[in-house]
Amino acid sequence: MAIVVRVSGPESDKPCRVAFSSDLDQITRAAAGDAAAVRALVNRYSPGVLSLATRMLSDRGEAEDVTQETFIRAWKALPGWEPRAKFSTWLHRVALNLCYDRLRKRRESLPGELPDLADTRLSPQEALDQSQRVLAIEQAISALPERQSAALTLCALQGHSQAEAAEIMDVSVEALESLLARARRTLRAHLLERSPSP
Amino acid sequence: MTEDRLIELIESWGADPSAFPQAERGAARALLAAHPERFATAIAEARALDAALAQMPDVFPPPALTAALIASAPKPKRAGGALRVPKFAPWAPASGAAALAAGLFMGLMAAPSASADSETDDVQALLEEAIGYDPAAMSEGIAE
Repeated sequence: MAIVVRVSGPESDKPCRVAFSSDLDQITRAAAGDAAAVRALVNRYSPGVLSLATRMLSDRGEAEDVTQETFIRAWKALPGWEPRAKFSTWLHRVALNLCYDRLRKRRESLPGELPDLADTRLSPQEALDQSQRVLAIEQAISALPERQSAALTLCALQGHSQAEAAEIMDVSVEALESLLARARRTLRAHLLERSPSP
Repeated sequence: MTEDRLIELIESWGADPSAFPQAERGAARALLAAHPERFATAIAEARALDAALAQMPDVFPPPALTAALIASAPKPKRAGGALRVPKFAPWAPASGAAALAAGLFMGLMAAPSASADSETDDVQALLEEAIGYDPAAMSEGIAE
């Protein structure tokens, strides 16, 4: 089955469309070392994996490490790949588990250095600034409990379907909904707290 | 669809009913359309948060990371087994000449060492030229 997708990346605004075969075909060819298939898998999935890791870890360097580790595991898994799960779902689940591992190690090594939201309150002027607002949201997301942060990132920021996000997180759709509700409540309260008083 | 359930859906999935679970989407839309005022606050709050989340920039891998990911991928397997012999063996001509010389040497050692026959003399001369010394003389020296 051949599908046509838009390549995501810094050049996605250019009229660049590439015809890809199905994931399975591409995985088979990538496992055999087909450079075009490898490149296609990397171009298609690395932005999502990096984005998830960046939102979860709030550290670009660590997020890139997680992305590399995720793909190394993917390459190892390719020769015996069986399409029980979507490759995308599997890849994001590996990345998410690697993020959980790193967050756990952070907590163990730096018990007193968790983000303190109260210290990063923005002034009214700063709050009006777009980049500061984005920073505030990023900080608020990263300060959420990790499963809430993952649910929000997968559903609200990356647009995964409910079923797919639940599968990546290895939870039911009902549990995912509960995590999302709590995440959005916390985030809303945090952003209201930061916004300038009328 | 109850009002409480619709509030839960808005709080979880945002203001846009198309993001609600598919099984509940139709009923949720109907209830929203029937009583928009009852859900106006929840919708407004959810919409503000949706807008804030929509401001989040996309994250793109830098070229160096993309290159590293591609470089870490499986490499094409070469045809044939693990043991590969080069097609051209630079020592082949030398080994052929050595085998020829050894064969001539062994053959002549088994033959009579001296002969008046001119053909034998020719062979003897050829052999001496090939191996650099007279094997007959050497064999006589060994016999003494």
